[in-house]
Amino acid sequence: MKRVAVTGIGVITPIGSGRETFWSGLLAGVSGIRQVTSFDTSVYKVHIGAEVQGFDPKPYLHRLEAAIMGRASQMAVAAARMALADAGLEPERLDRKRTGVSMGTTSGEPLFVEQYNRIRNTAGVDAVPAEILSRYPCHVIPTHIAIELEIHGPCLTIPTACAAGNYAIGYGFDAIRTGRADMMLSGGADAFSQITYMGFSRLGAIAPERCQPFDRDRKGMVPGEGAAVLVLEPLDKAKARGATIYAEVLGYGVSCDSHHMTAAHPTGDGAIRAMTAAMKESNISKEDVNYISAHGTGTPTNDRVESLAVSTLFGSLAPKVPMSSIKSMLGHTMGAASAMEAAACSLALSTGWVPPTINHENPDPEYDLDYVPNKARKIDPRIVLNNAYAFGGNNASLCLARVEG
Amino acid sequence: MNGRVGVTAAGVISAIGAGIESFGCNLESGAVAAAESERFPGVTVAEIKCFDPQPWLGSKGIRVLDRSARLLAVAAKMALDDAGLSQENSETGDPSLGLVCGTVFGSLHSISSFDWSGLQEGPNWVNPTEFANTVINAPAGQAAIKHKLRGVNSTVCAGVASGLFAIDYAAEFLRFGRARALLAGGVEELCEESVCGFTKTGAISPSGTARPFAANRDGVVPGEGSALLMLEPEEVAAERGRIPWLEILGFGFSQDAHAICEFDLHGDGATEALRQALENSGIAPEQVACIVSSASGSPRGDAMEARALERVFGGCLSEIPICAPKAAFGEAMGASGAFCAIVAGLSLQRQAIPPTAGFVQQESSRLRLSSTSLPVSGEYALVNAFGCDGNNASLVIRLWKI
Repeated sequence: MKRVAVTGIGVITPIGSGRETFWSGLLAGVSGIRQVTSFDTSVYKVHIGAEVQGFDPKPYLHRLEAAIMGRASQMAVAAARMALADAGLEPERLDRKRTGVSMGTTSGEPLFVEQYNRIRNTAGVDAVPAEILSRYPCHVIPTHIAIELEIHGPCLTIPTACAAGNYAIGYGFDAIRTGRADMMLSGGADAFSQITYMGFSRLGAIAPERCQPFDRDRKGMVPGEGAAVLVLEPLDKAKARGATIYAEVLGYGVSCDSHHMTAAHPTGDGAIRAMTAAMKESNISKEDVNYISAHGTGTPTNDRVESLAVSTLFGSLAPKVPMSSIKSMLGHTMGAASAMEAAACSLALSTGWVPPTINHENPDPEYDLDYVPNKARKIDPRIVLNNAYAFGGNNASLCLARVEG
Repeated sequence: MNGRVGVTAAGVISAIGAGIESFGCNLESGAVAAAESERFPGVTVAEIKCFDPQPWLGSKGIRVLDRSARLLAVAAKMALDDAGLSQENSETGDPSLGLVCGTVFGSLHSISSFDWSGLQEGPNWVNPTEFANTVINAPAGQAAIKHKLRGVNSTVCAGVASGLFAIDYAAEFLRFGRARALLAGGVEELCEESVCGFTKTGAISPSGTARPFAANRDGVVPGEGSALLMLEPEEVAAERGRIPWLEILGFGFSQDAHAICEFDLHGDGATEALRQALENSGIAPEQVACIVSSASGSPRGDAMEARALERVFGGCLSEIPICAPKAAFGEAMGASGAFCAIVAGLSLQRQAIPPTAGFVQQESSRLRLSSTSLPVSGEYALVNAFGCDGNNASLVIRLWKI
């Protein structure tokens, strides 16, 4: 089977767009969490979110019209174009039949549901425009990328909620190594929505002021939005064309807690199985893991279970494996989150730096782990794990490695 | 990696019957589910009337499942029991047993209802447990909890091709050794939001009759239900002493990259999917014994499929019996691909393809459809799933050969 390289990164995030802004922001500890502006939060007890600021899709749309697309699709198409440009590829010169797209999402295009209900509420269902519902199903996200770039390879969404980015990158990885496609655009996208905000707010899961993953006093997660797309291609082809290779995808592992729709398994069972499966498929052992990109949402339960899972699995090695959560800066960008984290992992491998967990003041005394508090660190990792956990009890861990010379 | 993957069991709940036996018999007798609906006044749909999951799922813990989750859990229950893989008596459930679910609208009704209650009652008064059902993978997650499935739990969305993509996704996972047995197929529920979409876009049949490939076809009859196949690698089935029913062969796919909500009449994508499926199965067009079509009565969609079939099969097309079962169970979106795969399996097994209800042959057509059952002789069945957003998939299956 073919080895799979990450050769392009496109990101639209709450701390800015494009690989360079994203990476320098993460290393500097820039936070994208602010007061929510896209809707009125005065009725809520919390008011912060991680929205993408001032995003204009028009420069990225040559075939499609922004007006007919949902926000998740707009950000996804923009991230896809950026990723191709970053990989030094011209969309016009792609092998169209051999290029595909796999995207993850939590909610697809929920703003159309909001529109539907608001029109229904004020003017009745007869006033609902036809296109609202046909633009809703989540497979439109990769389909819009395919239409915009005129590519005909495998095209699908894997909406496994907040772990979806890892699933979608995993699909792309499989498609390349089995030779089904020669290039995959894989990642995730989600749009900031009142529905998501309302849900997390009612669960009491949203932090009031900031996101402090793994801190003793952590108070919750912060909903966010954005898109991230990676260009995946066979390693030998990438080398032959002289591409910049950020990382190699070694393998991934998935599992289901089969325990509770929204709460993690108390022993971290599923998380442990996903990490174990990822390492087994990648043919590496625990000693080989130099960095873990945590799911690290900032909720008391998620972070406790993830710390427990890592401590259980890595045993005496656990305190020596740096593990940080970039959700401290980006908020929780839902289906895009693990794709942004995979992008960060790829950049950690290619630059040698790992991003910090910001707002980390008082370590949780329950666990003796290295959360890379507040300051980026140069550790020259060779192999990293990217963890993602989701509603539905879904767990996915992706394993990436540095490519020498 | 190149191991054979078999289908050892299946579960189905549709508007024309629950359980493989009833589904097959009703198709065979030319049943049509399209009817006026109490849930959606003034619209003809193919719905599961008086759906009650209790005979399959009991009553414990059912209240929190939405209609999609219930349909999926029922199909899963049937397939697990049929395969002898029920986890009912297992304390923890099986970490190598999982579920891959295709869907189009997914949890649309649950997310819309949650939003609506926020609008009516205020965001601080919505029921937080209903939030869990708003994610698109909620049916798969709920079914995993209900049936203690601890292996991969994935949801796959590729429009009408979702069900076939889910089957292929699961087969690949098994070939990689990431699970020992996987339920794969799809689910779709009819809800006010999706029916509103079908109506507003004009995709729905004004006459209330799905007439696939007919000259006077006027649109689709929206359907619903769930179907799941139990997929197992050859060696796992053998260890368990099970001889599979079917074998999953070549899969083909493509994306038209043409438009949202408009079939590409050129049919290049559908043609590509068909060609790949045959090529990946190592067979020639004339070796196909029967075709289960994606045709739903959509004027453009059926024309596109007919064109693609003519391009790939050429002169031998008129020899191959075709069934377009959406005439019976409607366009069940995410569930359609798995419904059609089961129709293909039954056709091979019974050596007869079921009728396309109400079909009237036109002189000019080279498509061999019939309102009566047609004999099938040969090894390979082809299943198509082509969606209006350009998602195309084709799958070849055959009866399991030892």
